[in-house]
Amino acid sequence: MKKTNRILTVVIFAFLYIPMLVLVVASFNTGKDLTVFEGFTFDQYKALFQDEDLLTLLGNSLLISILSTAIATAFGTLSAVGIHNLNPKLRKTVMGLTNIPMTNPDIVTGISLSLLFVFVGSTLLQQKESLNFWTLLIAHITFNLPYVILNVMPKLKQMNPALQDAAMDLGCTPVQSFFKVTIHEIMPGIVSGAIMAFTMSLDDFVISYFVSGNGFLTLPVEIYSYTKKPMQPRVYAMFTLLFLLIFVLMVTMNLLQLRADRKKTVKQAKSVTAGQKVFRRVCAGVCAAAIVLGCGWLIVSTRQDKITLNVMNWGQNIADGSDGTMDIIAAFEEAYPDIDVNYTTYDSNESLYAKLAGGGLTVDLIIPSDYMIARLRQENMLLPLNFDNIPNYKFVQEEFKNTDYDPNNEYSVPYTWGTVGILYNSKYVDEADVTGWELLWNEKYKGKILQFDNSRDAFGVAQFLSGISINTTNENELKQVSKKLAEQNPLVRQYVMDQIYGIMEGENAWIAPYYAGDCMMMMDANPDLRFYLPQEQGFNLFIDAMCIPTCSENKEAAEKFINFLCQPEISGANMDYICYASPIEGARDYMDEYLAESEVIYPEQSILDKGVSYLYLPPEINRLMDNLFLEVRISGNQPEETEEEGSALPVILTLAGLGAAAIFLFLPKRKRK
Amino acid sequence: MSKELIRLQNLVMEFDGERVLDGINLYFNDQEFLTLLGPSGCGKTTTLRIIGGFLNPTSGTVLFDGKRINHVPPYERQINTVFQRYALFPHLDVYDNIAFGLKVAKLSKPEIQERVQEMLGIVGLKGYEHRRIDSLSGGQQQRVAIARALVNRPKVLLLDEPLAALDLRLRKDMQNELKRIQQAMGITFIYVTHDQEEALSMSDTVVVMDKGRIQQIGKPEDIYNEPKNAFVADFIGESNILDGVMLADYKVKFFGRTFQCLDAGFEPNEPVDVVIRPEDIDFVPPEEGHLTGTVTSVTFKGLNYDIIVDFKGFKWLIQTTDHQPEGAKVGIRLNPEDIHVMHKSEYSGMFGDYSSYSAAYDELTEDAADEEE
Amino acid sequence: MKKSKSVLLSTPYILWMLLFTLIPLGVMGYYALTDPDTGGFTLNNLRDLGLFLPTLGTSVWYSVISAGICLLLGYPVAYFIAHRSAVTQKILYMLVMLPMCMSFLLRTLAWVGLLETNGIINILLGKVGIGSVEIIGTSGAVILGMVYNYLPYMILPLYAVIVKIDNRLIEAAEDLGCNGTQVFARVVLPLSMPGILSGITMVFVPAVSTFYISQKLGGAETMLIGDVIEKQFKTSNNPNMGAALSLLLMLMVLVCTGIMNRFGGEDEEGGVVV
Repeated sequence: MKKTNRILTVVIFAFLYIPMLVLVVASFNTGKDLTVFEGFTFDQYKALFQDEDLLTLLGNSLLISILSTAIATAFGTLSAVGIHNLNPKLRKTVMGLTNIPMTNPDIVTGISLSLLFVFVGSTLLQQKESLNFWTLLIAHITFNLPYVILNVMPKLKQMNPALQDAAMDLGCTPVQSFFKVTIHEIMPGIVSGAIMAFTMSLDDFVISYFVSGNGFLTLPVEIYSYTKKPMQPRVYAMFTLLFLLIFVLMVTMNLLQLRADRKKTVKQAKSVTAGQKVFRRVCAGVCAAAIVLGCGWLIVSTRQDKITLNVMNWGQNIADGSDGTMDIIAAFEEAYPDIDVNYTTYDSNESLYAKLAGGGLTVDLIIPSDYMIARLRQENMLLPLNFDNIPNYKFVQEEFKNTDYDPNNEYSVPYTWGTVGILYNSKYVDEADVTGWELLWNEKYKGKILQFDNSRDAFGVAQFLSGISINTTNENELKQVSKKLAEQNPLVRQYVMDQIYGIMEGENAWIAPYYAGDCMMMMDANPDLRFYLPQEQGFNLFIDAMCIPTCSENKEAAEKFINFLCQPEISGANMDYICYASPIEGARDYMDEYLAESEVIYPEQSILDKGVSYLYLPPEINRLMDNLFLEVRISGNQPEETEEEGSALPVILTLAGLGAAAIFLFLPKRKRK
Repeated sequence: MSKELIRLQNLVMEFDGERVLDGINLYFNDQEFLTLLGPSGCGKTTTLRIIGGFLNPTSGTVLFDGKRINHVPPYERQINTVFQRYALFPHLDVYDNIAFGLKVAKLSKPEIQERVQEMLGIVGLKGYEHRRIDSLSGGQQQRVAIARALVNRPKVLLLDEPLAALDLRLRKDMQNELKRIQQAMGITFIYVTHDQEEALSMSDTVVVMDKGRIQQIGKPEDIYNEPKNAFVADFIGESNILDGVMLADYKVKFFGRTFQCLDAGFEPNEPVDVVIRPEDIDFVPPEEGHLTGTVTSVTFKGLNYDIIVDFKGFKWLIQTTDHQPEGAKVGIRLNPEDIHVMHKSEYSGMFGDYSSYSAAYDELTEDAADEEE
Repeated sequence: MKKSKSVLLSTPYILWMLLFTLIPLGVMGYYALTDPDTGGFTLNNLRDLGLFLPTLGTSVWYSVISAGICLLLGYPVAYFIAHRSAVTQKILYMLVMLPMCMSFLLRTLAWVGLLETNGIINILLGKVGIGSVEIIGTSGAVILGMVYNYLPYMILPLYAVIVKIDNRLIEAAEDLGCNGTQVFARVVLPLSMPGILSGITMVFVPAVSTFYISQKLGGAETMLIGDVIEKQFKTSNNPNMGAALSLLLMLMVLVCTGIMNRFGGEDEEGGVVV
């Protein structure tokens, strides 16, 4: 029994630590992949300390968690004293309130707060950026408070109430007695509450994910978007350093505590509290310094005279200086030193739309695809461009002007264009099977097939296969298409967007529909990958174009950026990285030859003629497609097909039942007393 | 003898509608050692906390030097307290505990130093300045608590069962110590206890309380010898309490016999309670006794025997050094000075019957009293 | 007097919590009852919830299994830690705490690297000659991810309770004739019940609402309720449906924790302290 326990414990610790070990090892890897160790290097650490963005994010995270912890600790401690003195009935109610964020799933807390902030900020106050630093701070304080309260309350309860009386008896006012006596008694609770609050706050992803806008992001939120893209190994380096830091902190804290405990047991010891005192002072000093630094940093960073240009682009859709390409943003910032680019990404047109429509953001420049531009334009979410600021528009090729989505060339400047085809791994996929879109429905490759994780593109694939127009608004046709997708669901390994890189390059899946340029990048990384364009069935031909949404606050800066990207040499250099075709005249000349000549990027005109563009669809059709796609996604859980339209009644009854049960379970608790 | 310092007028205290103090009228003289004595829940600690300023009475007045101080907070009163279980600050050492009040009052460092050292001398803790509180024994903690209160030179010191947590031996020593300190400092001590022996041996004045009311105020001897009612008689020492009738002055009848006594001023034929202290009763041969009975139990107590004697079905406790075997027929004589007559009160018939006496009884009551608050 | 004043200290807190926990839930309810396009009152969102009940069922099922596994694995570990010397206890406790402080996103990502078709485990298995196993994308991988991420949340409260069990009680039970198993079943287990319940709650609640773990480790068939909610907000732009789903999730969790509390009997204020 005891021996098995010991073995099990060792195994469990291995289970807990091996994944972290994997990350630590990866931080010394010359390669990018987690799974293959190519060689030992410290370069990732060097890269980390040169990566200003990453360091800023880390700073943001620390700032938020330190500030929210400090505020929550002070606020929570005082509140705990108040709650402690409430009459028992009221105290129970308040503690119930305190338990709400503790027992609610994080996702519910995050969503409800973000809805509140957006509702109050955008709807009631007409604020542009209703999700910002302050809302994030409020959210963190809100979920930190219960940790402080729940740690301090028991200490208050344990405390001999006569101590406060004694202090007052000896001349302390209630306030003095709190600071001279009470606070010392409840200090352990305050400290452990603060530590818990800090770690929870630092590592919080879910709540921050819903509550933060694009102006102020914390590290975990950004890491989430990283984990969709191929991860930069420098993140592993940061993980390793943080791990070491926390490890050292924890060990020192425990050692100090241990030493203090030991001294306490020795009766004669003179200044037994010295160790603790030093520790407390150090803690207080560190906290104070951090707060001062944080506030200072905040003031400095908000005081900057620089204009912040908020750019939102697809993942992997701008040259970032890696692999010897040009760092476009750095080049732009160098050309316009008064502009500071805040670059964030989205992974599908739909998620971009959700971000914009959800409100709470300030975005100055977006690069959606054709049909989404039409939708945004239709819904008055775009600003007309001032072409006086974009003289380089003259370089845009004629065939990309007067398009369906922007017939009068008012709202958009094209950025890239490309096709959607099938990416497959020739090592595993029989060339004979590569005949068209039906490859994605081939039972032979069950579990090795990927599919788009956005409704329009996924529907598009099925529509080409079924011979239905990709711009249909016929409800029955759409339902037919969604059935086709549901048929495919059991074969699909995963629905992906940016995550496709790791999966395809690592040969964990073999077949996927995707955008040609991205396919090109993956083919670069894994030479077994091939691209196939089903000419006969048809394929999507798309244009991504730069637009300025109505929530922009720096339209002029955004236009400067558009103009900058329209320079042929810049566009060409950019395409070198993102592997798409440029709509800019002359850009092709600046591209790497093998890219410029690639059939994947620049197919022959005869092939191109068979491409079809997505057009604007009315909102109810978009909504229908979204819902149908979601049904496809959850069809794995569905026990059987239930086609009938349910009435609201049973669900409402269920909800009411659940609610009543909850109330019944929580309120009447009169067992003893 | 000396002037009045504190006066409580018609003090009423209610917690959640429950009356804890019911019209307390009491004054305290300067330099007096006054004890509030009573069983747990009698309101003595509540009274003390009202004087200390930790509670506000529901109605009634607290006067200090003739001024109403009902709403003066504790930190502005010239009163200090020695708390039950001391309430020493665990995060401070002995020196800092004692210096606490002086530091709050922002005295100069040398003065604090001087006064703390002086107090350490008075309570006999020199050399313990930098000891941690939890490394001290109960008696030492007790001294620190007293020093911490007295160093502020209060006019009144409140002591809330200060010796309850000490063992018997230490308690006796500390009783003397407290009395000595009180006399040396010349200040008023208001002392709360449930231990009658403690109260009698230390106090100038004893106030016996029960059910939120004062039962009797007086010098220790008077309280013991002239209890006002059955409660006081029983609570202060042991008593056999009998129903009787006051036939006339100095003549009381009980057990069917008329006895001479020293009490007067009752209505003729007034029903009364008659108190006979167990130690006042002497055995005589049965034929010589006023009353005769049978010994039903004998317990050796060290100084004396506790003997229960059955007189016509009524059991008396008799404390004597004469051993009597169980079952022996004995007689007793009662002298006039042994008999104390009291008016009937709400307590009549509740005390003074030893029918259910057992040796364990004493300990039980002590334990119960210890658990008070 | 002094009490009534210090009670006022709780007022800002009560206001804050009302403003930032209760009112947001109210706003969520408001969204759940409005139409995403017109903004008018509708019951459609609630009606459509029926569609997602199987997904909710799957989420609950996975979380229950994860909580069960966590309990089975965590109990012996907590018991083992609680019976070490004080110093060892501190060290082991710290080692359990430590992973909780590190980014769970990255740690989950490491599992992707481990479990992938061509991941570390399969490479190792290949070298041993067993060949590769398909783990990622299955419900097993999702449950593994849940167990991995939330196991410390089970161990810590269990440890806190077990370490407080008075050894004399065990001796007393032995004295009264219990053998090892009986001591465990009749004394240790009932006494560790509060820890078990709070551990289960602390694993179940985050597991049932997760979306990251299923996104990374799950496949096409392991869509959880958290994923659906996240999608409603982040891609479908249907916060109203998302709010309705959140409401459903919250009520479900409330009922589950309520049942737990019922089992637990006594409710101590703040039993959730790690």
